[in-house]
Amino acid sequence: MNRPRSDRSDRLGVASHWLTLILAALVLGGCVNATVDEMTYNEPTAGIGESSVVILGRRHAPDYDTEFDFIECIGDHIHSGDPSIEVLNELAFINELYPWFEPRTAPMQPRAIDQLLQLPPVAQRFTEMKLEYMIWIDGNTVDTESTGSMSCGIGPGFAGCFGFGTWGTESEYEATIWDFTDKVEVGRVSAATSGQSYMPAVIVPIPIIAPVQGTACDSLGDQLLEYLSAHH
Amino acid sequence: MIVEGNFPEPLLDPLPITMGVIYPPAFAQHEFFDEAKGRADSDWLVKTGEAQVAFWDILLGGLFQEVVHIDSWETVQSEGDRIDGVLIPSIAELQYTVPTHTNVKIYEIWMRYEFRLADIAAIHQQDDGALSFKPDDRLAQWPITAYGKTPTAFLQSDEEAVNLAAVVALRDAGAHFITTFGRTPEVAAWLDGLSPRKASGETVSNEPASAISNPTAGAASETAESSELGDAR
Repeated sequence: MNRPRSDRSDRLGVASHWLTLILAALVLGGCVNATVDEMTYNEPTAGIGESSVVILGRRHAPDYDTEFDFIECIGDHIHSGDPSIEVLNELAFINELYPWFEPRTAPMQPRAIDQLLQLPPVAQRFTEMKLEYMIWIDGNTVDTESTGSMSCGIGPGFAGCFGFGTWGTESEYEATIWDFTDKVEVGRVSAATSGQSYMPAVIVPIPIIAPVQGTACDSLGDQLLEYLSAHH
Repeated sequence: MIVEGNFPEPLLDPLPITMGVIYPPAFAQHEFFDEAKGRADSDWLVKTGEAQVAFWDILLGGLFQEVVHIDSWETVQSEGDRIDGVLIPSIAELQYTVPTHTNVKIYEIWMRYEFRLADIAAIHQQDDGALSFKPDDRLAQWPITAYGKTPTAFLQSDEEAVNLAAVVALRDAGAHFITTFGRTPEVAAWLDGLSPRKASGETVSNEPASAISNPTAGAASETAESSELGDAR
């Protein structure tokens, strides 16, 4: 007679255990640690006027590429913070200047811009773009250690998952600002962020993702906006 | 899968040269096949030929003032007088990796081209009507290596990733070609020899090749024995 009560009690115990895990995940999830370093010179205190800025990702390393969507995120962040700043689209810029900004040919030092400007069509294109700052972003986001397990099943009239998984994510990016007029480096901003994501599943998996890359984007974007904008 | 992509025109002043181009069938219909090595693997057949021709047409069209496709003996006879040189590309080697091969979250394609430059007089017609070329008659021969990679991405299939890596490799090949063309000693000598033939002060410039400091230009010094050029149509 007591057995059914005991089974129910066990089930309640397991449910309460998972509820605790989910609550813990909800509390802990989304936490991201961010470290930002900045060293800039010759800030354009009056802003950049009608000039434009291009943000480009470094993609010459053998084991990683700076993500295109991260570059787009920073550009959007700057433009939304100060709509007067024109941020050129990265892919369109690279295509318009092909082959001079491919991983093999992209300038690694500001003085290499002078060599590029010796090519009349390139010099003319830069003039048309009214380019004032070229910002290079180098880095990427990676998932680190992961633990936990989850199993999913499907049967007649039932489908669901059960388990718990967690993984870490780390972002590390450095932005190098080149003054296109003077052909000099005028600053570096770096952002390192990390966070832990969780995926508890009781029938339905509930991803609780730490916005690690988004935080890195916001952090770098804020610093670059502060540098470029007259209003921040 | 068939490699597809949109390729940009190169931004440079074209060299004042009329260049003939022969795409051998092995190049224009290039494909590579990789048989599955285990149950977990799958066969790969990647056709790059169409993309190769589309890409090099755009690139060479931007690098030279005029490009003449030589696809028949009639073209050699009718256009031969105004063609300064004939460029014959071939793909000597291609390697690729996908994450299941390496456990690294990157798709990669590596290619080695062999480019041959010949005088139009070196092009002959075979008995079957196909064009042929004596390798000893070449003016220059040099390798071009190219590399393309693309990281794994959410909701991206193997086919999409390999296609993107191939497009990146093609772009890299073009960048390598443009930045080393005038630096290749035999090509530089040929360009110097062309200058006096150009009328009314028109000069042959190798500016696109020499103006940019390219840290990887040393790759052009790699040597490779060429295979015989087959039919050229």
